[in-house]
Amino acid sequence: MTAYVIRRLLLMVPVAFLVTVIVFALVRLSPGDPVLVYAGEERDPVSLDALRKAYGLDQPMPVQYAVWIGHAVQGDLGRSLRTTQPVREAILERVPATLLLGGTALLLSISVALVVGTLSAVKPNSPLDLLATGFTLAGVSLPNFFLGLILILLFSLVVRVFPPGGYVAIAADPGDALRHLVLPAITLATASMAVNVRQVRSSLLDVFGQEYIRTARAKGLGETRVVFRHALKNALIPVVTIIGLQIGAIIEGAIITETIFFWPGIGRLAVDSIGGRDYPVVQAIVLLSALSFMASTLVVDLLYATLDPRISFSGSRA
Amino acid sequence: MRGSVRVLGVLAAFAILFGACAGSAAPAGGAASAAPAAAKAAPGGSVTFVLENDVIDFDPMRSRAFVDRNVHYQIYDSLVRIDATGKIVPWLAEKWDTAADGKAVTFSLRKDVKYHDGTAFDAESVKWNIDRYMKTTGSARAGELASVDSVTVVDPATVRFNLKTPFSPLLANLVDRAGMMVSKAVAEAAGADFTRKAFKAGSGPFVLTEAVKDDHMTLEKNPSWWGKDKDGSKLPYLDKITVKPITNSDVRLTNVKTGDAQVANNIAGKDVAVVKTDPALTYQQIASYAFDSMIPNRAKGFVFEEGRYVRAVAMALDRKEILDKWAFGVGAVGYGTIAPGHFAADPSFKPFEKPDPEGAKKLIAEVGKPLSFELLISAGDPAGLQLAQLMQAQLAKADIKTEIQQLEFAKILELQSKHEFKGITLVGWSGRVDPDGNTYDHLYSGKPFNDSSYSNKDVDRLLDEQRATSDPEKRKTALRAAEKIYVQDDPARVWYRFRAVQLLTVKKLQGLEAYPDSLIRFQYGWLQK
Repeated sequence: MTAYVIRRLLLMVPVAFLVTVIVFALVRLSPGDPVLVYAGEERDPVSLDALRKAYGLDQPMPVQYAVWIGHAVQGDLGRSLRTTQPVREAILERVPATLLLGGTALLLSISVALVVGTLSAVKPNSPLDLLATGFTLAGVSLPNFFLGLILILLFSLVVRVFPPGGYVAIAADPGDALRHLVLPAITLATASMAVNVRQVRSSLLDVFGQEYIRTARAKGLGETRVVFRHALKNALIPVVTIIGLQIGAIIEGAIITETIFFWPGIGRLAVDSIGGRDYPVVQAIVLLSALSFMASTLVVDLLYATLDPRISFSGSRA
Repeated sequence: MRGSVRVLGVLAAFAILFGACAGSAAPAGGAASAAPAAAKAAPGGSVTFVLENDVIDFDPMRSRAFVDRNVHYQIYDSLVRIDATGKIVPWLAEKWDTAADGKAVTFSLRKDVKYHDGTAFDAESVKWNIDRYMKTTGSARAGELASVDSVTVVDPATVRFNLKTPFSPLLANLVDRAGMMVSKAVAEAAGADFTRKAFKAGSGPFVLTEAVKDDHMTLEKNPSWWGKDKDGSKLPYLDKITVKPITNSDVRLTNVKTGDAQVANNIAGKDVAVVKTDPALTYQQIASYAFDSMIPNRAKGFVFEEGRYVRAVAMALDRKEILDKWAFGVGAVGYGTIAPGHFAADPSFKPFEKPDPEGAKKLIAEVGKPLSFELLISAGDPAGLQLAQLMQAQLAKADIKTEIQQLEFAKILELQSKHEFKGITLVGWSGRVDPDGNTYDHLYSGKPFNDSSYSNKDVDRLLDEQRATSDPEKRKTALRAAEKIYVQDDPARVWYRFRAVQLLTVKKLQGLEAYPDSLIRFQYGWLQK
């Protein structure tokens, strides 16, 4: 298993390089001049040309890439073209908020999915199943921003329970931080919740149809034991894949939710940087996102081994 | 039975969600209560100001975004400022004299000013600041100070600007960022990080103590600010202002309604009617210097090289309808660059008062070929799309065919700067105190904002004339004569609207007045207990 993990980790390196080359080329080939976008209302050509030179944007692309990658491998991701803030600082500033929101939303989504999905599968087509399906479908059908605005309307304006947006660090004030977290976490969770509920439900139903479950029931085991001891663990394998991808996606941020709730996350930074042609920031975020996905798929693959004893890493039958 | 339960389940979910929308928004207010009798301003208290975008540059030298100024005005002082009528008034400079030949302006400076870091403000500091604005590579202020040759320190409280040629808009430029004074000690210590970490760098009524990107900025009272109110009490009254950038206008308004914020200066047109009738809020709206225009590409080989086509569009457009239907009546109909608040404004100048599609048709017939062009708007901008569709419908009455093209913002900027866009783009301008700032660089041949590639010798001559003389009457005549040419006779663009300055405050926040440059003077604000 260690050999497997090492192999996977080593594989991440060339993939990461490839990702940086692709995003570097894509973002610089797209029409639009970052200096011009940054120029805003003050556009005199002389000062803009001076800026281009200062940023090294007048160099040929391979030279620019060499400069960037040379610094990147040493941990220096450059400075934002728009704000001159060091890119590493800009991203690190936003990581806690992003992880807090993404992590909480995912936990919420998984918890609800496990409970509701299991109950739905245990009693398929019952009123509970239909209500659960209805709610989750409504949740995923409502556009993210609409749901967010409705939640703000209901719970910040009509009933003043939660603040209408903003972020408070957990370290600063845990109680207030949680209050600010509730509405955005719910908004963000609803989209993946429906997917996860359906996945748990259908996966469980699949497993329920298996022979060993019939055997377990025939042995006289109580339904609870059947579900929790035998069915759930096996049903979780496909669910783990999906959740693994969702974990990888956390670092991309949640653009719309962050905008509505004025949450300083990576998603908004990414969108603003793309629109503003802020090359160093876009490159860094995409690289980070790729690494995050690779890491989470590795974790998921390792988890398979715990969940499914049939899987081994040595390539030969255990 | 099964089926109907299934349907019920789904319907229940929808009913709950949509029922929530019904009992909504602002309480229907009665007439706004009359302002309380002028109470004595009480010091103390904190307010939150929701801004439509985060500040990008705290360094006035680098700043290119209009929104930055909202914070600059609180933390920095300029050499001069404007009052609520737009007249230039003393600020860091107590008085000034222009030489007879117009090539030198001497300022007498206040002697009681200190920067937030304790260093003194004096003529040396002015020279250092202006030299920095003029000479630093990539400075965004170089254009505004292009007429300045050098700055001479006469004595610690007197400084002289030596100009290359007479330039009457100089004072207007020194009202804003080009005249803002920062502490040399702070700027040099911070180096490249100054534009994000300009703490204690100004001399203004408030001190920047904290700035977290995309989250908030904290401005705290400057206890040794030199400004005083009419009774002689020290300003500012407020202890603290928290500035929060919120890009979504619905969320901004909600923050004000819930009391999480007390001030906002950008209200969506659709919400104006609601805030006007809300008894807990005060809404002020006055004319702004900012304008909206359609920019045709008048370079060789493009459709609008033909000036009569531009005139036809100007004649066929229904500006009143655009103002009422698209802008919800916020702002004023505009025909050119001289705003209602400018000294040179001519209220009787209404060249295209009534839309004239028939006249436009006749003009196009003269040219001989029907007019069909591409209207470029930014993708992902629903308001822009609505405007484009409204214009399309209006121009269709004159048999003008408009094809709406949505492109990404950065791409449009690129096309504009290369003068390669095929038809018309929609461009606004945030407006300047002096009409020269709305006009010169936009219409003079070859200047940076002259995206329509417009070139008219008479306009160039008149614009140079109005810059060279400081006699307001002569300037007025020249500006108005030029406007007649670039709006009517040989149109450069099609202007259709002046924007409005908006100021929304909660009732207990008193003392804030709307200024024509839309910037809030928080030093006069105070909270009623």
